[in-house]
Amino acid sequence: MSDRALTRILVVLPMYGGSLPVGRYCAKALAGLGHLVEVFEAPDFFGAFSALKNLRVTAQRLDYLEHAFLQTVSQAILAKVETFEPDLVLAMAQAPVSRQALKRLRRDGVATAMWFVEDHQVFTYWQAFAPYYDFFAVIQKEPFVSRLAQAGVENVLYLPMAADPDIHRPLDLTPAERRLYGSDLSFVGAGYPNRRMAFRELFGFDLKIWGSDWDGEVILAPRIQLGGRRVSTEESVKIFGATKVNLNLHSGLDPAVLAPPGDFVNPRTFELAMCGAFQLVSGRELLPEVFAPGEVAVFTDINGLKEAAAHYLAHPEERAAMAARARTRALADHTYGARMQTLLDFVAARRPGFGKGVRREAGMADLPAGLRAELAGLLGELGLPGDAGFADVVTAVRSRQGRLTELETAILFLDEWRKQYGGR
Amino acid sequence: MKRVLVVQLARLGDLIQTKRLLLSVALADADGDACEVHLLTDASLSSLARLLFPGVECHGLCAHGPASPGGADDPAALARVFANRTVFAELSGLDFARVYLLNHSGLARAVSTLFSPETVRGHFQVSGQPQKDPWPALAFRFAAARREAGLNLADYWAAFAPRMVAPDLVNPLAAPKGGGLGVVLAGREARRSLPPEILAPLAAAAVSRHAVRRIALLGTAAQAPAARAFRRQLHPSLAGQVADLTGKTDMAGLVREISGLDALFTPDTGAMHLAAHLGTPVTAFFLSSAWCHETGPYGEGHTVWQAATPCAPCLESAPCGQGMACLTLFADPAMVRLAAGSGKAAPPAGMVGFRTETDALGVVCRSFAGEDPTAGARAAFRAFVAEHLGVMPGGRPGGPALGDRFYLETDWMLDRFSRLGGNPQKMETT
Repeated sequence: MSDRALTRILVVLPMYGGSLPVGRYCAKALAGLGHLVEVFEAPDFFGAFSALKNLRVTAQRLDYLEHAFLQTVSQAILAKVETFEPDLVLAMAQAPVSRQALKRLRRDGVATAMWFVEDHQVFTYWQAFAPYYDFFAVIQKEPFVSRLAQAGVENVLYLPMAADPDIHRPLDLTPAERRLYGSDLSFVGAGYPNRRMAFRELFGFDLKIWGSDWDGEVILAPRIQLGGRRVSTEESVKIFGATKVNLNLHSGLDPAVLAPPGDFVNPRTFELAMCGAFQLVSGRELLPEVFAPGEVAVFTDINGLKEAAAHYLAHPEERAAMAARARTRALADHTYGARMQTLLDFVAARRPGFGKGVRREAGMADLPAGLRAELAGLLGELGLPGDAGFADVVTAVRSRQGRLTELETAILFLDEWRKQYGGR
Repeated sequence: MKRVLVVQLARLGDLIQTKRLLLSVALADADGDACEVHLLTDASLSSLARLLFPGVECHGLCAHGPASPGGADDPAALARVFANRTVFAELSGLDFARVYLLNHSGLARAVSTLFSPETVRGHFQVSGQPQKDPWPALAFRFAAARREAGLNLADYWAAFAPRMVAPDLVNPLAAPKGGGLGVVLAGREARRSLPPEILAPLAAAAVSRHAVRRIALLGTAAQAPAARAFRRQLHPSLAGQVADLTGKTDMAGLVREISGLDALFTPDTGAMHLAAHLGTPVTAFFLSSAWCHETGPYGEGHTVWQAATPCAPCLESAPCGQGMACLTLFADPAMVRLAAGSGKAAPPAGMVGFRTETDALGVVCRSFAGEDPTAGARAAFRAFVAEHLGVMPGGRPGGPALGDRFYLETDWMLDRFSRLGGNPQKMETT
């Protein structure tokens, strides 16, 4: 165990939305890479924020209150930064970090990064916020990259979506689960207009539709499962595994364009691949960069979808081989761990001294040998790598919930004692 | 039997000032069940704690700092501190129903992590977040108005308990014991002590007043030069009566010595609190940052000379910009006459003589000489605190101005009878 402190990363989650699970996957992956990670749980604030909307006050007053509330949340993030002293603040799209807070972090020399896992043409607010981040990772290329440069964003990184192999993995399903979750074709996701129109064309197939926002859909109503409620991640993994052909139709708002052209590859593509599940995915400009033709089956229009579905239903061995190749590729290239490593390498290459800071509390070499040995035994339990410093151990222990063990308390006490009496 | 732990990691004086809390938590609870009281202190004080508080289970750990500057990085010192783990293991296994953490320090908060968050009171941390209960949070606000406030530290800590033992039951009534006059040469803070040339004439006057035949000089070995200087200041006939005990008494010896004295001359020190604990009359000199309404001797029958200059009480850490005007007052010739018991002498302007008494809230200093410039404000303050703590039978409530000054929105919105020991979120208004 050396004196070197770990790289500290504060992951700021959004209060809700699609970026929320991605942020959690990132935090887990960063910890898995051996960094010291804390998470700002913005969802915990959402209840209070929602309460403002039930006030029945003037719109002007509600605007003011919501703004003031978000400023308070931003202040909480700054306080967290002050205490945790991260090397990097990684925010997900919609994370409640105000521009004022971002300015403050820049002034204080704290690196900030945003992983914008949204479509920039749909979610256009990036224009106001992107320039305040030191690093801006995106799931699209041109023209987004050029537009970011025009906005003054210097460090832009193309960082496609990914999947978590601990969550998205092949499962051994019981016969009952196969009956419940299985079908020839299935789709998991929200009822966007293009999907509604496309799936009406599949009346000849054994199709199950899972997910929310299918209200008012009469023709497809018999196919919609669980009353159209949102399915959990655990349920979706079972559905992927039990389905012969998983449909992955990227969303589109125009019902006339069933397979919308687009560039970015959605997270479902990576999740299905990581599960070892066979998928028929709508074509995307950036898809060939992440999966080769033999790894996923692609369609570009409704006829292609129907033909491919019929073909692969008739050839289970082709499905199995393709799904296996997709999983191998996903495990090799498309984990959140790989994405986070790419992001950190990008930051390190552009920020001299990144992650090399020596903290006041670091100083393992001064500790008694017996204590160093005890700490080494605790590292695995705390999820820390072998080269963690004393300050990292203290931080990890401090974040534990409930009653601590006598060893953990002794570590906190020793840390406070050194601080109180002038130790390094 | 229900177990209660009190964590007091500070120095000797603070340990003794914890007495009223220890007596209070030992009171039978609402169900009539007695409590088994445990006390955690620095190991250097645990044997004294056993001596002072029979019936209390005392535990010691390594909390105080190293003797030498920079010693906080000494591996041997770190090993001693880490060895606290065995004490933590012992405490963790004792299943305390309530744990009071009195010190606003990271050390106390670290200790709090051993226990279930529902059991801890005072200063603690939960999931890494330092917190304090509403009562210490309120009391911290009093520190911004020290001159007008007046709550003894022992009473502040006693109020951590759901019910406080009566203040006149804490210490014996002060009475001479026949062993002469004890003189404490200095406290930990030099600025709060009187130099020998000022202290010696006052002590000599007291000797003549009480007709004692022995002067015991008390202090550490480092204060031996001050003891010699003190002796040189005395008339030769008195110098022969001096017993220089500096550096010659351990804690138990100090207890024995002070318990037999007729009176103790002292600045604000641990020895002063020890004398009050033992019922030995105290004559204390308070100046600089020392304020008798906060840390004066506990119990009835003690005397305090408080320098109440407009700048008092000052901040210990801030340099004095007033030429130590508070110290100069003690060199006034009138002080010698007062020490000799003259009823005609008046103290110099800015000096106030107090005698200690008790009221419903706790110990209170009442002036008998000089002009007490903050008496009215303190009386109102004490009424406010007594009402807050629910200990003012027949007393007058404080005016609304103090509530407006000291209560915050968080008190009003979040604290519901937390002083009664319950969960503020679950208690209902009756």
